Amino acid sequence: MITVNYFGNIAEAAQSDSEILDQKSLDLGELLDLLDSKYDIRKFQFQVAVNRKIVSKQQTLSISEDDEVALLPPFAGG
Amino acid sequence: MKKVFLEGAISPEFIADSIAKHQGKHSIGAHNIFLGQVRADVVGDQKVVAIEYTTYEEMANEKLHEIREAAFEKFDLTCLHIYHSLGTVKVGEICIFVFVSSPRRKQVYEATEWLVNKVKEEVPIFGKEILDNADHQWKVNS
Repeated sequence: MITVNYFGNIAEAAQSDSEILDQKSLDLGELLDLLDSKYDIRKFQFQVAVNRKIVSKQQTLSISEDDEVALLPPFAGG
Repeated sequence: MKKVFLEGAISPEFIADSIAKHQGKHSIGAHNIFLGQVRADVVGDQKVVAIEYTTYEEMANEKLHEIREAAFEKFDLTCLHIYHSLGTVKVGEICIFVFVSSPRRKQVYEATEWLVNKVKEEVPIFGKEILDNADHQWKVNS
């Protein structure tokens, strides 16, 4: 199970703040492809956080069970 | 973990009360305060009437903790406080309050500027700008 959190315009596109994917493990690239096929996420500008740390979207990174992934649109604090 | 996020606008009373709470700290010689106010930006023929703030709270709190620690390393500060609104803040209301205190003046200006920049750039806070025709757009810090 991999938890994916959505924020801002991506949460709107996914019509959800969070979902649990029934996946054991996959590469970050595969995960983003999967989410793109569901929600067309690549039309948005966003960063990815894995376990609350920003990672590069191009990075070869294995996402495993119990990881928490978040798609973060541009920050707008302040 | 210090509490940063407050529901709704930050009231002038809350800010005044924060200042009053420092009167017992006699090593302080200088305070500096930054207040961010929601601006009525013009978008086409519409105006922004409010911003609805959301955050990725667990990550934001971790990031804010790192920023606080780094600020105490970098500047000679007695204390610092960061407050940010969540939920709806109307134009003219305060959405961020950064309050820096030090024995002397010079450090507080630099520290305040540094802290506000860090919050804007590194803390996952999202802002939905509500327009007067009830449409919305997502705010991007420039």
